[in-house]
Amino acid sequence: MTFAQAIIRRNRLTPSYIIVTILLIALVVTGAIVSDRFLSWRNISNLFQQMSVLGLASLGQTFVILLGGIDLSVGSIVSAATVFLANFLDWRPDLVWVAIPFALAAAAGIGALNGYLSVRLRVHPLIVTLGMSSIIFGSSLSYRKEPGGSIPPGFDVLAFGSLWGVPIPAIALFGAFAIAGVWLQRSRSGRSLYFVGGGFENARLNGLPVTRITTGVYALSGFCAGLAAIFLVAKTGVGDPRIGAALTLQSITPVVVGGTILAGGRGGVFGTFLGVLLVSMLNNLLNFSGVSSYYQWVLQGVIILIAVGLRDKGGES
Amino acid sequence: MTAPVIRLTGIEKSYPGVKSLDNVDFAVAPGEIHALLGENGAGKSTLTAVMGGAVKPNAGTIEYLGRNVVWRSPKEAQAAGIHVIHQELALFPELTVAENILLTEQPRGPLGLISPKARLKRVQSALDRLGVSIPASARIGDLTLADQQMVEIAKALVGEPRLLVFDEPTAVIAGREVDLLFDNMRKMRSLGIGIVYISHRLDEIFEVADRVTILKDGKLVGTHPIGSLTRDDMINLMVGRRLEQIFPPRPAKPTQGQVVLAVDRLSAGDRVKDVSLSVREGEIVAIAGMVGSGRTEVAEAVFGARAVESGAISIDGEAIPRPGPRQSIGRGVGFLTEDRKDKGLFLGLSVASNIVAPALDEITRNGLLDRSKESDIARRQISGFSIAAPSPETRVGALSGGNQQKVLFSRWARIADRLLILDEPTRGVDVGAKVEIYRMIRSLADQGVAVLMISSELAEVVGLADRVVVMAQGRVAGELYGDDVSEESVMRLAVHTQDRGTAGTIQ
Repeated sequence: MTFAQAIIRRNRLTPSYIIVTILLIALVVTGAIVSDRFLSWRNISNLFQQMSVLGLASLGQTFVILLGGIDLSVGSIVSAATVFLANFLDWRPDLVWVAIPFALAAAAGIGALNGYLSVRLRVHPLIVTLGMSSIIFGSSLSYRKEPGGSIPPGFDVLAFGSLWGVPIPAIALFGAFAIAGVWLQRSRSGRSLYFVGGGFENARLNGLPVTRITTGVYALSGFCAGLAAIFLVAKTGVGDPRIGAALTLQSITPVVVGGTILAGGRGGVFGTFLGVLLVSMLNNLLNFSGVSSYYQWVLQGVIILIAVGLRDKGGES
Repeated sequence: MTAPVIRLTGIEKSYPGVKSLDNVDFAVAPGEIHALLGENGAGKSTLTAVMGGAVKPNAGTIEYLGRNVVWRSPKEAQAAGIHVIHQELALFPELTVAENILLTEQPRGPLGLISPKARLKRVQSALDRLGVSIPASARIGDLTLADQQMVEIAKALVGEPRLLVFDEPTAVIAGREVDLLFDNMRKMRSLGIGIVYISHRLDEIFEVADRVTILKDGKLVGTHPIGSLTRDDMINLMVGRRLEQIFPPRPAKPTQGQVVLAVDRLSAGDRVKDVSLSVREGEIVAIAGMVGSGRTEVAEAVFGARAVESGAISIDGEAIPRPGPRQSIGRGVGFLTEDRKDKGLFLGLSVASNIVAPALDEITRNGLLDRSKESDIARRQISGFSIAAPSPETRVGALSGGNQQKVLFSRWARIADRLLILDEPTRGVDVGAKVEIYRMIRSLADQGVAVLMISSELAEVVGLADRVVVMAQGRVAGELYGDDVSEESVMRLAVHTQDRGTAGTIQ
């Protein structure tokens, strides 16, 4: 067994990881040729700062897709949470330690409702979360039509600060993915997530508490959206009811690029991490070279098609 | 003998590492039902795929209607009159019978638009010729499996076929539906159509076939007229085993163990009415009956996967008011479902995960999984049930059907120390694997487990069960034990009330 095979076995890697890794290497090499500042510490910090919001949203989306579902309310939850945080903190800047837990709990609560409703009403999560997204979006707009609010001084350390030279958003992102990886592979609830994703009825016949698992996983997706909102508001300083609109679909891209299949039951957070890195690095590089953001979208689309099109589809059906 | 419809000579087909067909000769005469027999992996499917144009042989010739042919695609073979009716039907469930049958040649009306009226008329007359009372306007998804199969056959007949290949058509139907299928096969035979018939059920082959060709490990064992072989001969040729070696011996005297499962006047849904039965420690009780007689529904109700309307279920004398899969598993009850792919295995996950799925408690400590314990359990099951899997981490979807079934069996056998419910425990596995599974079932019973088994294969019911409960139309039609159990007596009870029944119509 070669070293590469050993790694593949240990991490249950599928060839999509390899494709993404090759694309990543190609990007790094291109970046290094195009600009000598691309691989500078400053740009790398910048990259991780940009990655954190997308990364956290995609992390939540990974759990839901592994379950065989999808969460279309991620963007609305992020927007609503930024509106709440910026306006609440504008009113009572001293209550940061109340605002943050409350925002996270509310985001998780909305997610839990998504999951519970989709099981109980037997409605596809695509529809439940689409409806929920609309409700939340409309509610935030009715409260604040324009970006507004503020954050207390020092809050932006979450976005721009660093600890021992490492950007805080990077620490948060690595931490969240590491915990998630261990959780999925080692914990009982993580394994149960794969079972439900592999077959809902089947999981029920194996005695697994399918309603509780589904509710919990959607709650986790909401929680991750809440976390993303905290880092986003730390960066922008305002609450914006529209800021997350594009994030819903963006959060799905790294998941599928990273090899998690939409049918559920197969994949993992490591692939999503690579996917987030790929998408963010691509945008970063294009920004760097002064390419218009329109082409960023085009190239992102091309990358999705390459990564998903070339991967091993063996046994997916 | 007349010139054959198709003659295959010296067919070879290799896949990397496997020789799937090795110098096989095979011919079907017009007006002949030719059975193709062999264990899973013997090469039957590959041979039919070669005839139907889905697989190109590496060597050998195909002579069809007197001409040498090389099929470039299944479509070409179909256009020439070869139809393969696969076990998994290729119908569109949301479309009507008529739309499915005339899929590629919808009759046109004025303006070149599709004419639903002409379509209905043409299809209805084709269905009437087959002698099935299926409305041409019915939606496929609303039909029983048996009726869907008839639609598939009607679809083949519209194209005026010369050679029909049936790939295990009776795996999904039973009783009168089988009779109807056989009648139609004989009717087609009398029209001079050549028919290839694949089945694992020897009785059916004796009933319907004229000749039989046996394959083993991709090689031709021989072609014989059906009259020249006995059942034992066939099994011998196929696996090199004799019939009495298939079923393990029963205990010398019937078990007197205590009652583990008692079902009293159970009603659940439309299919279970007033059912009572019991299973003792160490006893194998079979529920026999037609597909749709309520057998599976009884099993689901006992396990707690189906809502109960009235009646009582007790395990070890203790009534279970609101059973659910979780509670049942906790009481040492296991349920091997008939649908291995959708309600059985997690095909994308490892063998180990699949084995421990209903028993996560056992390998959990403080919310974390003990992976080495999981591996140990899986390894023990893999060797105990001789599952051919390279490692506990192998994906179950990558294993053969027989090994998948053994994984499923080993999962439930491990946790079911009181009652093991088996719904079609040997569906889709070859004779070799069947024999192993029969031995495992008997050995579990010998260890004191109560076994409740559902099977459509009469030979299995008669050969393995200590007692047989026969169901018909949701009710218990009778109970047989000892010398009274025979294929005939079971059948008589199973069809008793069925005579006035609804076979061949929409559910």
